[in-house]
Amino acid sequence: MAATSLSSPRLGSSLSSPAFQTLRNYKFPITFLSFSHYTKHLTSRNFSHSTSSPHPCRRLTTAIRAESTNGSEPPRHYDYDLFTIGAGSGGVRASRFASNFGAKVAVCELPFSTISSDSTGGVGGTCVLRGCVPKKLLVYASKFSHEFEESGGFGWTYEAEPKHDWSTLIANKNAELQRLTGIYKNILKNADVTLIEGRGKIVDPHTVDVNGKLYSAKNILISVGGRPFIPDIPGSEYAIDSDAALDLPSKPKKIAIVGGGYIAVEFAGIFNGLKSDVHVFIRQKKVLRGFDEEVRDFVGEQMSLRGIEFHTEEMPQAIIKSSDGSLSLKTNKGTVDGFSHVMFATGRKPNTKNLGLEAVGVKLSNNGAIEVDEYSQSSVPSIWAVGDVTDRINLTPVALMEGGALAKTLFANEPTKPDYSAVPAAVFSQPPIGQVGLTEEQAIKEFGDIDVYTSNFRPLKATLSGLPDRVFMKLIVCAKTNKVLGLHMCGDDSPEIVQGFAVAVKAGLTKADFDATVGIHPTAAEELVTMRSPTRKVRSTPSEGKADSDIKTAAGV
Amino acid sequence: MARKMLIDGELDKPIEEETHYDFDLFVIGAGSGGVRASRFSAQYGAKVGICELPFHPISSEVIGGVGGTCVIRGCVPKKILVYGASFGPELEDARNYGWELNEKIDFNWKKLLHKKTEEIVRLNGIYKRLLSNAGVKLFEGEGRVVGPNEVELIQLDGTKISYSAKHILIATGSRAQRPAIPGQELAITSDEALSLEELPKRAVILGGGYIAVEFASIWRGMGATVDLFYRKELPLRGFDDEMRAVVARNLEGRGINLHPGTTLTELVKTEDGIKVRTDHGEEIVADVVLFATGRAPNTKRLNLESVGVELDRTGALKVDDYSRTNIPSIWAIGDATNRMNLTPVALMEGTCFAKTVFGGQPTAPDYGHIPCAVFCIPSLSVVGLSEEQALENANGDVLVFTSTFNPMKNTVSGRQEKSIMKLVVDAETDKVLGASMCGPDAPEIMQGIAIALKCGATKAQFDSTVGIHPSAAEEFVTMRSVTRRIPARKPKTSL
Repeated sequence: MAATSLSSPRLGSSLSSPAFQTLRNYKFPITFLSFSHYTKHLTSRNFSHSTSSPHPCRRLTTAIRAESTNGSEPPRHYDYDLFTIGAGSGGVRASRFASNFGAKVAVCELPFSTISSDSTGGVGGTCVLRGCVPKKLLVYASKFSHEFEESGGFGWTYEAEPKHDWSTLIANKNAELQRLTGIYKNILKNADVTLIEGRGKIVDPHTVDVNGKLYSAKNILISVGGRPFIPDIPGSEYAIDSDAALDLPSKPKKIAIVGGGYIAVEFAGIFNGLKSDVHVFIRQKKVLRGFDEEVRDFVGEQMSLRGIEFHTEEMPQAIIKSSDGSLSLKTNKGTVDGFSHVMFATGRKPNTKNLGLEAVGVKLSNNGAIEVDEYSQSSVPSIWAVGDVTDRINLTPVALMEGGALAKTLFANEPTKPDYSAVPAAVFSQPPIGQVGLTEEQAIKEFGDIDVYTSNFRPLKATLSGLPDRVFMKLIVCAKTNKVLGLHMCGDDSPEIVQGFAVAVKAGLTKADFDATVGIHPTAAEELVTMRSPTRKVRSTPSEGKADSDIKTAAGV
Repeated sequence: MARKMLIDGELDKPIEEETHYDFDLFVIGAGSGGVRASRFSAQYGAKVGICELPFHPISSEVIGGVGGTCVIRGCVPKKILVYGASFGPELEDARNYGWELNEKIDFNWKKLLHKKTEEIVRLNGIYKRLLSNAGVKLFEGEGRVVGPNEVELIQLDGTKISYSAKHILIATGSRAQRPAIPGQELAITSDEALSLEELPKRAVILGGGYIAVEFASIWRGMGATVDLFYRKELPLRGFDDEMRAVVARNLEGRGINLHPGTTLTELVKTEDGIKVRTDHGEEIVADVVLFATGRAPNTKRLNLESVGVELDRTGALKVDDYSRTNIPSIWAIGDATNRMNLTPVALMEGTCFAKTVFGGQPTAPDYGHIPCAVFCIPSLSVVGLSEEQALENANGDVLVFTSTFNPMKNTVSGRQEKSIMKLVVDAETDKVLGASMCGPDAPEIMQGIAIALKCGATKAQFDSTVGIHPSAAEEFVTMRSVTRRIPARKPKTSL
């Protein structure tokens, strides 16, 4: 295999020269800077012989630094400074950055497959192979049908109704995934990270077993991610999860989606856009628990208007397969028949089974997530974990942040905690959602007195298309400090729009700062800098509260 | 009625022997700036009158309409046509996503035109209601200044009425200009282009500004052959050079024929269409020739010279930081002052005017970090300084971060078009001096970035913001390595 041939797993031990060994085993009392020059001189000749690394000196010096930061442990030689299990977003980021800081790094990953299991995965991980990327590609595909409808209002007509060919889409999507997994492998290769294919298992705090071969490492990083979870009800073997939904052999005619989280609403939008008959079964009254209540209401309404049928407060009890092959979903309220597919989007669980974690004493939480401290260190000091396997905020960019922070902590002499404040997020429902900061409910709980600005308008495009599409925007402002605590939007382009605002919210900017910014006309986003009067003021003393609304027009004059 | 004249901020102080005026404020021109200033002044308690010419999509000396350029002949109808044109390339993109589209797809320009007119008529009505709800008295007719405190209104039937006003605000906007070349009467301006009876099959556009590139994209998206002529090497003078080059490449990539460094010398009517001659000796025949060669302030028929209001060489009203002309009772905002000709800027100027004159808070509009967008396809949006401007202004080194990438949608659609983003950073202070993007959704993406820049955000603050994945916008917060570091004082480029 190409990536592993880059350097043999035992490279570390095979290139030890006397000078190299001495340096490694001696705990230097002197500072890194004054030391680095010396090491360079001493070892570059030996080292550059046996490795393709462009920075042999950096590699050596950091190996020593990693050693010297760690108190009383007896000096020991390891194959790697860092061994990462799982080459998804977090694992690749941590490995690359660690290597850039000079560490000797290996990462292991399961063989590629679009469907994950105990024996399949693939470089790139959930995000690239079974999450963000394929999902977004299907969202793009499914959005076109809405655009065809819109285009009618702009003078476009089609002699024949546009038809969708599922197999073309899936083939093109999979070609793109193959390309991306190749890119990720190259990224690792270019960063001088050794890629080992196989299932990694922890043997002891410094040893990982991959397919029977043992690798020793100063630090082990677990970044194995999570996998969809299907509850055990009668007939659950007929259900598919999001992995399968992204790679179905044919398009569902009629699909039941169980769950109200972001995966459920995203797939509801995808299949609805591709003209499947979509039924969503949710336990609660509304979708997207944890999101701002008004956004939950709004997105549910908009999705219903596009033809998705919601079955609220319905819990699945069984899936029954009929003689004609169709599936029925039995819930606490009744049975709905005639589904070609039943999809469960009922949550994901960390992939921590059979990793050997319990045996070495790594503490897991109730749901199987690895418990870590603020620096992503587990209960075993040499074992670290980032990404979904820690079940903190399960987002690719957060895993990237955690991976980046870990590399800094371990190999750049900069102990760095990931910062979880004002992490923006998007839901690629149709229409999509973007948000950053607190929901109204959280803000009231935390700050008491807040001003809420909302805008619910018909965008220019919809006035022409004649479709019932609307946009909802919301700003939550601290009454005392004027700081913008939260920003929520549902409507076209929300994820793109919210990113820039996230910089502003993260920087702690105030409503006055928003107001001082001139709008970009005509855009939807300008609405967020032209909200003049609060829709409501929430006060702990109710007498101050007063509703005030403002006329919004297309040009906001 | 609570009459307040609060220019010095004195509230409710009775002033003896005050002259009686019909209005506290009379506004000439009910476009973006005029409507905003009127409404806000009325909300501060002023008695406000406003006059506007009768409505029609195509403006002239005697035609206008409440809503002004933005609503009737600018931003709004333009954006509607851009939406309409965007479906063309969208349909191409759909195929690799599995959509089977019959080759017979029809675009009906007349239908779009009709719906566009419906929409601007609706908005025109909304604007009128906004004024009446704010208690502003609207007059239809042509307004002229006849004294420092006197406006004459020529009504539609030709009769004239005079009104006295404590303050007069000129917000008459601007109109498209035509270059004086032989046959210029055969060409149209953007006004007519937004209301053409027939969609041109062959369009020639003269000009390299935003209006020119927007119409090039509109007509191309609708299937026309488009030839774009401009004087410079690149379109969009004043924008970041790298972005200009990307826009040019994208326009070309989408099938627009670019003719840089070329201008038109003559238009001749032929049986086959309008024959266009260039200064390079080329000849092209077109159905429509659009002049997008600039706009001039609408100040000719306002009788301003009679009261001695100073104009600059372009005919724009000269105003101070508070939008006041050299005649203390006469003020001006918006395109008529030719400061920064954008709707949101006119709105800002209108708001500041009302605050200053009737709100007791003298407020100067702040022209720092004003974002703007060009709705070519794909779009361009910028805020703050271009790389060239940053180098000119910088005391120290300038760091440039760029990201050129294939948008995810194109990975499957197969469209060969890169998006580009750029941050220009002061090396010493780490402040982000400018941001720009060319690619889908750029104007929507840039709005939030504009707040950050306005408030002096640093590159470190951008970096500390977590990305939204997968989006294009996340590139703005994930530009880790500097593309180039430019030492202070570099010789200027002259593209």
